[in-house]
Amino acid sequence: MSRRLSAIALALGILVGATGLKAAITSHAKGVTVANSPAPAPPQRRPVQ
Amino acid sequence: MPGSVELFIWYLGTAFELAFVVCSIARKSFFTYFFLNLYMLLTVLVDVARWLVCRQFGFDSDQYMGCYYYTDALLTVLLYVLLVSLFARVFGELRFAKHMRLAAVVLLLGTAAFSYAVIAQSESRLYTGSVFAYELSQNLYFVGIVLTYLLWAAVLKLRETRTRLVQIVLSLGVYFSLNAATYALCNVAPQYGGVIHAAGAIGCLLPLAWCITIMRYSEDSRLAPAQLVAVPR
Repeated sequence: MSRRLSAIALALGILVGATGLKAAITSHAKGVTVANSPAPAPPQRRPVQ
Repeated sequence: MPGSVELFIWYLGTAFELAFVVCSIARKSFFTYFFLNLYMLLTVLVDVARWLVCRQFGFDSDQYMGCYYYTDALLTVLLYVLLVSLFARVFGELRFAKHMRLAAVVLLLGTAAFSYAVIAQSESRLYTGSVFAYELSQNLYFVGIVLTYLLWAAVLKLRETRTRLVQIVLSLGVYFSLNAATYALCNVAPQYGGVIHAAGAIGCLLPLAWCITIMRYSEDSRLAPAQLVAVPR
């Protein structure tokens, strides 16, 4: 397999791992994950879906 | 407006973020760690913008919510770029920078496409862009966690000795881990109100850790390599 295909496969593998981790952690989530800055999240917690 | 504890944490965090940029300029490292500084500078601007919107329209307004999620998505994309720049530093001496850039672009586009697909699956969810911003931000955040751990592993495997780089990567790893742990605790034990404040307080730790790293160590500082393990024969 060429290096280019390996890079794409690695990227997709990371994406699968990340979404799997997200599903595992947020399956019963009530809040949002605050990733940036110490500003408080809005009280609605999530935008309307 | 939010409570006094939340406001205090918010102001303190903004002060630390600004302090990092000032320390970086004082140590002549602004362009050496350009994306770190850009991220912190943008975080300060976002904090100011959020505060102005919060004061103008109220903490529980739709405007604050929209501003919060759009700016969070912007910051998360920049955090992703920052992580890629750290990867480029760690793997700088190896000859696959071009493929790494390709992987980074594929990963970002893949995450955006996945976020869009998740929203598009549900009916009438596309009427607000903040839903997409929220989904993209959350997905990229988890991609960031995985990338940070990979970077952590690469630093250990390649026996990286540049003190500043090691400290910056380690503090990012601790920051992401603490955030994820707080988030899990919020869901497991929502009765403890202090956990919500902890999430904000953790946001103060990253700029503080980076400030200490920039001020304490120079670019030439190196860690002593670990001693070789004696293998009995």
